[in-house]
This record gives sequence, C-alpha cells and structure tokens, in this order.
Amino acid sequence: MKSLLKHLSPFAPDQSGAVSALFDFNGLIVICDAGGCTGNICGFDEPRWFIRKSAVFSAGLRDMDAILGRDDKLVSKLQSAMDGSGLKFSAIIGTPVPAIIATDFKALKRMAEKRTGLPAITVPATGTRHYDRGASDAWLELFKTFATEKLSIDPGMVGVLGASPLDFPSLDAGNLLSDALKKDGWNMVKCYGMGAGLDDVRAASAAAKNTVVSPAGLAAARYLQKTFGTPYDVQCPWLPTQVLDALPALAGKRTLVIHQQFAANAVRNELLKHDAASRVDVASWFIMEPDFMRGNDFRIESEESFIEAVSNGGYDAIVCDGRLRVAMPRTQNFNIIDFPHFAVSGRLLEEVS
Amino acid sequence: MNHAYSITAAELAARGKDDIPPELLSSAHLIYSSPATLAFNSPGAQGFGVKRAGLAVPGSVMLLVAPACCGRNTSALGCEASLAERFFYLMQDDTDIVTGRHLARIPEAVKEVCDSCATRPSAVMICITCVDALLGTDMERVCRKASDYAGVPVVPCYMYALTREGRLPPMVSVRRSVYSLLQPREKVPTSVNILGFFSPLRDDAELYTLLRSAGVRAIREISRCATFEEYQAMAEANFNLVLNQEARHAAADLQKRLGIPSIELARLYQTDKIANQYRLLGQAVGAEFDDAPFRERAEQAIAAFCNQYGHRTFAVGEWLNADPFELSLSLIRNGFAVSEIFGTVGGSNFVYVKKIAALSPDTKIYSNLSPSMMFYDGADAHCDTVIGRDAMYYHPGLPGVPWNEERQPFGYTGVAALFDALGKTLSGTIERRGSVRGKEAAR
Repeated sequence: MKSLLKHLSPFAPDQSGAVSALFDFNGLIVICDAGGCTGNICGFDEPRWFIRKSAVFSAGLRDMDAILGRDDKLVSKLQSAMDGSGLKFSAIIGTPVPAIIATDFKALKRMAEKRTGLPAITVPATGTRHYDRGASDAWLELFKTFATEKLSIDPGMVGVLGASPLDFPSLDAGNLLSDALKKDGWNMVKCYGMGAGLDDVRAASAAAKNTVVSPAGLAAARYLQKTFGTPYDVQCPWLPTQVLDALPALAGKRTLVIHQQFAANAVRNELLKHDAASRVDVASWFIMEPDFMRGNDFRIESEESFIEAVSNGGYDAIVCDGRLRVAMPRTQNFNIIDFPHFAVSGRLLEEVS
Repeated sequence: MNHAYSITAAELAARGKDDIPPELLSSAHLIYSSPATLAFNSPGAQGFGVKRAGLAVPGSVMLLVAPACCGRNTSALGCEASLAERFFYLMQDDTDIVTGRHLARIPEAVKEVCDSCATRPSAVMICITCVDALLGTDMERVCRKASDYAGVPVVPCYMYALTREGRLPPMVSVRRSVYSLLQPREKVPTSVNILGFFSPLRDDAELYTLLRSAGVRAIREISRCATFEEYQAMAEANFNLVLNQEARHAAADLQKRLGIPSIELARLYQTDKIANQYRLLGQAVGAEFDDAPFRERAEQAIAAFCNQYGHRTFAVGEWLNADPFELSLSLIRNGFAVSEIFGTVGGSNFVYVKKIAALSPDTKIYSNLSPSMMFYDGADAHCDTVIGRDAMYYHPGLPGVPWNEERQPFGYTGVAALFDALGKTLSGTIERRGSVRGKEAAR
C-alpha cells in the first residue's frame, strides 16, 4: 500500500520546515495547533530549540476554537505575547487543524499586522507535505516581507539560501557553509537562517550572488532574481568530512545517492571526480527539481517504491541516511555510506560521530 | 510583556479558585514551548504520550492513521528497537482529509501490517488525531470492520490534542482503550489490579506488601504483563486500585463492562496523609494495614536529609512524579522552604494552594505554559535545591533531581526515595540529571 510505512517513520513535515526557516530571525512564531504539532517540531525537528531560548508558541487550539474559527482570539493572544517582548515580527504557521477548517491565512496576516503594528508572516502548512515545501514557502514570505529595498551591490557578498538543520545535519552548518564559500573568494557570506539575521534579510539585495544549497531555497532565489536582478547558482559547497572520506572507496561502483537533491548532486560530483565513468544516480524523498536532475535520477514516492528501487536498481553502494537501512532488503549486501539527513532521521552529525 | 508572571500563594489563595488570573490559565494565552514543558504540552511528545501508552497492551502494534506530521516524533520513541518494530503509519494526504477515503483503506492496512509481523500481533491499536476529531470519524465502526477483515482485535486510541481540556482528554481516553480488550471472567477474590500508570510502581513500594498482608495474592499492572494472556487475567480482579485520576474513566468502564469496582488512592508526599489514606483503604477492603514501619522509614529519611543538609529552599516543578503543590506543601510542613512552584493550578489542587498560603504566603507560583516564561530569570529566586525536570531547566546551576523516572514512586517508599535521591545529589554521589535530548538544556 503506497501510503503505508512499515519500516520507516514519517519525515519532517512542512510546518517543521517553515519553523526551521524562520527560527533564527528573532520573531514570535505561533504554530496554529492544539499542542501536538508544536511538541513534534520543538521536541524533534528543531535541534536549536534545545540549546537556546526561542519564542515558539502553540496557539493551544481547542475543539471549540476549531469549530467556531476564533481567529480574533488567536490574534489577541498573539498581541498579548508580542507586547513589550522586543520581538521583530510574528509568524503564524499552519498545521492540519487550520487546513481542515480552511483558515484564511491572508486575513490572519492582516489582522496580526494591524493589532501588533509589526510585520506578520503566515505559512499555510498542512502537515501532509514534506518539510522542504514549508521551508520554501517560509523563505519566500520572509524575503517578500523584509527584502523590499534595492541597495547597491557589494561585489564581495554572497547570500546562502536554503540552509537549515533539516537539510544540513549540523548545528554548525551555517559556519561550515560560509567557510567553504570564503575559500572560494567571497569575503562576506550571509547564510540566511543559520547565522545571518533579519537585518541581513533586509539587505539581501546587496548580495552580488545567491547560492542555493537546497531546493527549499530556490523559490526565494528566483524571487530575489526577479525583484532585484540578483543572480543565483545551485551548489552545495560543504559536505561532511566523514562522507567525503568514504567516497573514494566507491569509485567504479554503481551508486545511488539519497538526500536533499542539491547535497546529493554534490556527492555525485565528488564521486565522478574519482571515476568519471561511474554510474551514480540521485534520488530524494523530497523536492526533485527537474532542471537539476540527470537521466536516471528519480523521486521516491513511497516506502514501497523505495524498496523496489533499491532492490532492482542494481546498485552496489548507497549513500544515504543510515536509518533508511531498516527498509532495505536484508538479502542484499549494499555498501552503505551514512550521510545523516535530519529531516529523515532526526540525527545530527554531532550525535553520530 | 518582558518579565515572567508569577503570583504569591497568598495572593492566589485570596482570589479563590474561581478567580485564577488568566496568566495561569492555558486557555487564555498562547502556550509557551520550552524544554520544560515538552512532556505535557503535547500528547505525543515525550514519555508516555498516547502513542507509547497505546502499546501498553502486550503483543500489540500501533497503526497511526494521520498526516505524516503527527507521527514524526515517533522516530524518537522508536529509538528503542522493541518499540520501533511496533509502530506503523498510514499517512493521510489532502484528498484523504477532504474525502475520508483513507477510512476504506484501514482494514487492508491492518491486514498488511499483521502479515508483515514475524509474530502475529495480539491487537492493533489505531491511533487517530485531530484530523479525525474534526472530521467526526466513527473510528469504533472502522475498527470493527478492520477487525473482521484482518481477524485481529482492533482498538481505537484517540490522540485528540484538541480535546485536552475537555471531558475526555487524550491521556484519559487512552487508558480506557488499553483496558478495553479485557473480557469478562470469573472474579478471584484475591486478585487486584493497579491502574493509572504505564510503567510499574517501584519494586519496593509498600503497597505491594500491604495488599499481600491483607490476603491479596495476585497484584497486576498492565506494564508488568509480559503476555496477552497475563493481561487478560486482569479481568478476574476483585477490585481495581486507581492511583492516577486519569484512570478514573477506564476504571468506570471496567466497572460497567466487567463489574470490577474501584478504589482511588492519590500519590501523596505528606506522611500523615498517606497514613490516613491507607487507613481508609483498610476500612474499604476489611483489613488493618500495619504501615508504621514504612512511615517510620520515610520520616527517618526526611530527618536524615534535614540533619545533613539543613532546611533547604526548594523550587518545585510539575514535570515530575508528584502533584507539585502537594509535594511543596509536604516540604513546607517538614520545615523546608519552597520559594517557587512551576505548576498548573486547577480545581483539584487549589486546596493545597490555600494550605501553602497559610504556611508560606510568599511562595511564588508560575505557569510553565505562560508566554511570559520566555523572560524567566531565576537570579532572584532564592532557592538552593530543585525538584522536577522543568525546575531543573530553569535553574541549571543548582543541585536537584528530575524525579520523573518511569518506575513510579508511591506512598512512604516514594517519600523515602525522594529524600535519598536528594541526599545523593547534594553529596555528589549522583550527578545532577536534568538533560533534555541527551544534553544539558541551555536556558
């Protein structure tokens, strides 16, 4: 059955992606739920929540709130929490409950802005989509809301779009990505969401270029290109050392790389450096942008299709989050290189190594 | 809002239970999410939420029928391999939610799950969430159909976070679910069930000894049942002892369906109240319990702690195996000070607030869930020891015990164990343990 998971557990949902994208910007984040979704996000999908104070709240919806659609009550609570807090904006993130009762997020945004006098962002996540969709929506809204002024371009400045712990499983990923780009000659790297703050978002038009490191950042990059003419490229300038160290042994092997698409593409590029004739396919459970796919690349639609692909793909090696091993046929002895993907397993490199 | 809201016990008692300030009522504000609140802010987040609790039936598996987001944190629960193999997911997409078509797939999914298990499960627990609460799904009917199709008992578990403050909150409902598979049996006068928790009482709990002294031969807890057959034997009980009020509904259901009456005991830390409770239990079951040695041991533990460490000043949280207000009252009555309590005030524990107010009027009461807790600064708290995992989060530099272990403390031995643990922490025999996600939570 396509929608049945018998070996794996569900991956990070869109509301987690949205919170992850907005977490680092000193805003008040309200998850429009009854409490369970907030527990999942904070307790599992946002590792930064454990190590710093953050303004993440549950709307604490109850059955009558859902039945009566008490948006005014929600906005009053939001205003009360914002008053005097020093927070710079509010964000309201959807979950299955508002999706079912068809909450008007545009109206919520207007109401919140009017009541607080500060910008508001809404992301109508539904809980049925993966994290990258929610992150993509949140990045786009963030830049639409705050990157409104055209500034003169700083030729040494590059913006990094699409970085979050869900895509890059290290709390230090922002620095690691930035360091890699500085080695390429950039003297100012703004890694949005993992280091760069709200003022940097406001000054996004000053970047000479944006580098998109995961498909979740692509919509924002396209928006910034369209609005300010900022060009963008797609690359993943940093990969974990333990993954890079393991790749030479795969030279000449038929390999499947499973991760977020741009990181997986970067692994492929590294493998092809060792043996250009290798067959390396890329797959992902998440967004697969057609412009960045090669011939045999594919999107994994279900656990069933994952098992089918690894069973019959003729692969010798698989580079993927090691937690996927539980769904692989035990009769096949793949060479598996563990590349943790937080959105899949909730594992950080810091905890693995 | 730029400071954490608190109210003194005296002020709160003066207002009365019908005039609790909105800052202490979770329905009146956004709910702050901090590592201090994770365990009880979400019915599935940590510890025994609905998902893990539903698997209390031995040999059962769980099929979560929900959008993927609802099952996400089960990855964390599933870190324990034995649990991971018992969770399955039927994920709802947007079309399922609009049309309800996922309901038709449940029987087939249940069968596929059963067929994929190395050992046929004793039951399949179907966990459903806010989505089906809003859709008004008749899951009882769906479960009957799935049971007929797959040839296995199928039981609904309602993880309806939306109803957390309603008549049947998720953790009340799931307790009924896990006992719902018990079938009528002939009663055995010497059998008793203990209801309320999903993990056993501490092995040294005097309750076992006292019951045995009254002639009880079989004391059953669901968490000690290794097999489905052992679980089924719970149906022969002469009476149920309810140790957690969240099990009242389950006990009432067992009385109605199986004719098993129940007696409710509270977890207390005031030794004179514990004694009184055992006296009343004895009267109810026609026995006289000799609880004096246990009481003496508990009071010795308190005295020994006091002699060694003096009259400490405590901060008491609510993420622990106690009612924070009753525990605080117990500490105050034993000569200690309580400078602050992080707790949820309600009708059932307001009586303790009033007693605390009489003895320690300046004790500050905070709500963990108040948005203002974002600004909590414990610098002027004047406490030197903390109890409760949430209190440890607020006071990372102070010695303390989380006191939220899965083995449940109860009665005098619980009191003694608490002071023993506090003594060990203060003496440095055991390290302060307040970590969340395996590392110390930063403030």
